Amino acid sequence: MFRVIANQMIVPNVHLITLRAPAVAREAKPGQFVILRAEEEGERIPLSLSDWDAASGTVTVVFLNIGSTTSRLASLQAGVDIPTVVGPLGNATDIEKYGTVMCICGCYGIGSIYRIAKALKEVGNRVITIMEARSSYLFYWEERLSSVCDEVIQITRDGTRGYRGHVHKLPDILKDLDEPVDRIIVNGCTFLLKRVADVTRSSGIKTMVSLNPIMIDGTGMCGVCRVTVGSTTRFACVHGPDFDAHEVDWEELLQRRKTYMAEEVVPLRTSRCEERHFQMQEQSRE
Amino acid sequence: MTEKHMKLNSVEEILDYAIKKEEEAARFYADLADRVEQKAMGDVFRDFSKEEQEHKRKLLTVKSGSAAMLSMDRVLDLKIGDYLVDITLSPHLDYKQALIIAMKAEKAAFRLYHNLAATTDDENLRALLLMLAQEEARHKLRFEIEYEDYYLREN
Amino acid sequence: MSEVVKKKKYDLDRRDMPKQPPEVRRFNFDEVALGYTPELAVEEAKRCIQCKRPTCIGNCPVEINIPGFLNRVADGDFAGGIRILKEKNCLPAICGRVCPQEEQCEKTCIFRKKGGQIAIGRVERFLADWEAQQGELEMPELPRKTGYKVAIVGGGPSGLTVAGDLIKMGHEVTVFEALHKMGGVLVYGIPEFRLPKVIVNREVEYLQMLGVELVTDFVVGRTRTIDSLLDEYDAVFVGSGAGLPWFMDIPGENLNGVYSANEYLTRLNLMKGFLFPKYHTPVKRHRKVAVVGGGNVAMDCARSALRLGAESRIVYRRSREELPARLEEIENAEEEGVIFDFLTLPLRYIGDENGWVKAMECQKMELGEPDASGRRRPVPIEGSETIYEVDAVVCAIGNSPNPLIGATTPGLIIGKKGNIEANEETGATSREKIWAGGDVVTGAATVILAMGAGRIAARSIHEYLTSNGSA
Repeated sequence: MFRVIANQMIVPNVHLITLRAPAVAREAKPGQFVILRAEEEGERIPLSLSDWDAASGTVTVVFLNIGSTTSRLASLQAGVDIPTVVGPLGNATDIEKYGTVMCICGCYGIGSIYRIAKALKEVGNRVITIMEARSSYLFYWEERLSSVCDEVIQITRDGTRGYRGHVHKLPDILKDLDEPVDRIIVNGCTFLLKRVADVTRSSGIKTMVSLNPIMIDGTGMCGVCRVTVGSTTRFACVHGPDFDAHEVDWEELLQRRKTYMAEEVVPLRTSRCEERHFQMQEQSRE
Repeated sequence: MTEKHMKLNSVEEILDYAIKKEEEAARFYADLADRVEQKAMGDVFRDFSKEEQEHKRKLLTVKSGSAAMLSMDRVLDLKIGDYLVDITLSPHLDYKQALIIAMKAEKAAFRLYHNLAATTDDENLRALLLMLAQEEARHKLRFEIEYEDYYLREN
Repeated sequence: MSEVVKKKKYDLDRRDMPKQPPEVRRFNFDEVALGYTPELAVEEAKRCIQCKRPTCIGNCPVEINIPGFLNRVADGDFAGGIRILKEKNCLPAICGRVCPQEEQCEKTCIFRKKGGQIAIGRVERFLADWEAQQGELEMPELPRKTGYKVAIVGGGPSGLTVAGDLIKMGHEVTVFEALHKMGGVLVYGIPEFRLPKVIVNREVEYLQMLGVELVTDFVVGRTRTIDSLLDEYDAVFVGSGAGLPWFMDIPGENLNGVYSANEYLTRLNLMKGFLFPKYHTPVKRHRKVAVVGGGNVAMDCARSALRLGAESRIVYRRSREELPARLEEIENAEEEGVIFDFLTLPLRYIGDENGWVKAMECQKMELGEPDASGRRRPVPIEGSETIYEVDAVVCAIGNSPNPLIGATTPGLIIGKKGNIEANEETGATSREKIWAGGDVVTGAATVILAMGAGRIAARSIHEYLTSNGSA
């Protein structure tokens, strides 16, 4: 069992949870993820690691409250245990001295890019972070990121901070920066990843994205996370989660992510009181 | 000069062409051997390369006259590779994919000789080209059998 | 008029296993085989003539003293029977259910020719279930602790066997399992109706009672590497199985609704998706499911699909005689209403505008000329393409070992098929202090073979530790 140490909503619908998982904390590297179960009947879901501390044996995950497992996670108080935290899974992000690296992030990706940016800076890269959100009130960890990057640029849909629009502004940003960018790393939802891929395709800059297909085991066993990259089938959980953005078959990934949209809502719609009622009925029958 | 327009007017020219093709195949597998990330797969492609060199040696003995002509017997065609998607070459190839690559390569060679056979009126030359086609069919069968015995055991 | 009663010298009447009737069981996930009653078990055990030179023992991968336990059961001494059984087999309730006895112990039974071979597996299962019902588990006497510690990678059949053997030899044992439940293929692969998970839990608890430390949610190779474990443990056994799924490599395989057998079964078995939405892992209620393959896994998938309310078909490239699945499971599937399309090969999957599979194009096959070994292989019949309407396809054609251990353990030699190379007689690998057995070495095979390999490796590890010890 894995103890919840702290849990809070940091911006609307985005939560930050710290869990005691010493084995994971000891081995974690930037770019890796864990698979969680919030309860015995729960699903196994992948969530990227945002931070960890081997000394205290804790890991921190940023997540969007968007389904039955994440809504359950969001409701947990410190001191409660959850049944599964397994990891660190996936290949760590390649951290090398590239020169100037642009880290692009949005929603939960703002959390998971933190340790990646930090590691890149530590090996001598110039790190520029681009944070994207619908509006400025959805930004978080701005100071944290500023402390490990050379520059933080923001894009908001409504123009309340930074560039107005979304990542289609990237060519403008690159022009304004007026320096060559050697590598781009993107963390965030699939649409963000795809849009960055589209916008940077002609730039020739190597763009790595952290993919988030549906997963169950996370160890290469079931193949549900399979993605087509450069005409080859890869399993995101063991060959990724990072892949070359310009080789990913985005249409297929988006299509596969929709597989359980109808079913995902059902546990959410069933209230816990209803569940308990039927449980008690079953028990009285036994 | 493309394959289609190549003129192979004698037994010798045809055999030289076939020998060159085996050399190309041997090189193709040797290159793959250096590209793949798993050590065991490097060994696999090096072995495939050696097999192509064996084919070349056989053709050389046929050319020098010191071995009997090739057989015209039609070789069993399991058609396994015909329905499988083409494998993109990458450092991540596994053994299943290696067998598919090999059986498709042999099939392509088979088709090549068959097509060439159709372009000539000379009985002898046609016969030789058809025999070469069956040689490739034999190589293909070897990969198909291995694929079927292991990867299609449950199917 | 007196009736002449022929006195039969031998009782060749194999007692049938009571089963749920097909029309009932095709709608539930409860165990199909109901188990022998004590009377049936005794009757069946009495049929054994206790051959002077029994051939059954030699065919058992873990060398159970079969005539021994049958003899006890014949006398009604069930406690004695289970004691003998457990000397060699620490997972009898599981083996009694999933072993292919017809290929092993029962194959050479002296009564085989007349179809009267002793139903060894059914009696074995009876004994294990009887013991569980008694509630009193007899604990063997454990020797003094040796002080050595062994780490086991994988909580499947081979890992659990090594654990059971080594703990009984006095060593400290920790089993590391990647998933959140122990059992490996026993929990994620084999369905509830063939192997109830409560039984697997029971066997696992028994190991815990013996003192084995069980750690779930631990992926060796990621959470810690084997080399890191060797800083703390004196030996490591790798029983990580063959869990990497094979796909057909035909067009359309990434359409929504095309599953690997592992995914399909894991959703249902490990994640209990058949109880969705009580258990939250979603499982779709398909209408027409096609399962490609012919082994036990394919049967499990097809029978599960049926229970979820689908029209379920097995699509197999060869003929019924060549199905690799256990005859018992094939018959169960047929009785339950699974459709069988033999000599049929999928060519491609066809999707709708939303990326969902809606149909499968197949070709009919025929057996071709015999090859050098005299074996006839299936070849496609030209022009026989047929379209089958399906809304789900499960690809159950086999698995390879997962490459993670090989990739994270320098010096461990891995073969071209992804298997760890291990000595057949000892399970030793190319790395000192690392042993391996089961599917990770042989490729996908049976539970009992994995157990047999575990037994061999445990013996070798014990010898190594007690003669060399740690550096």
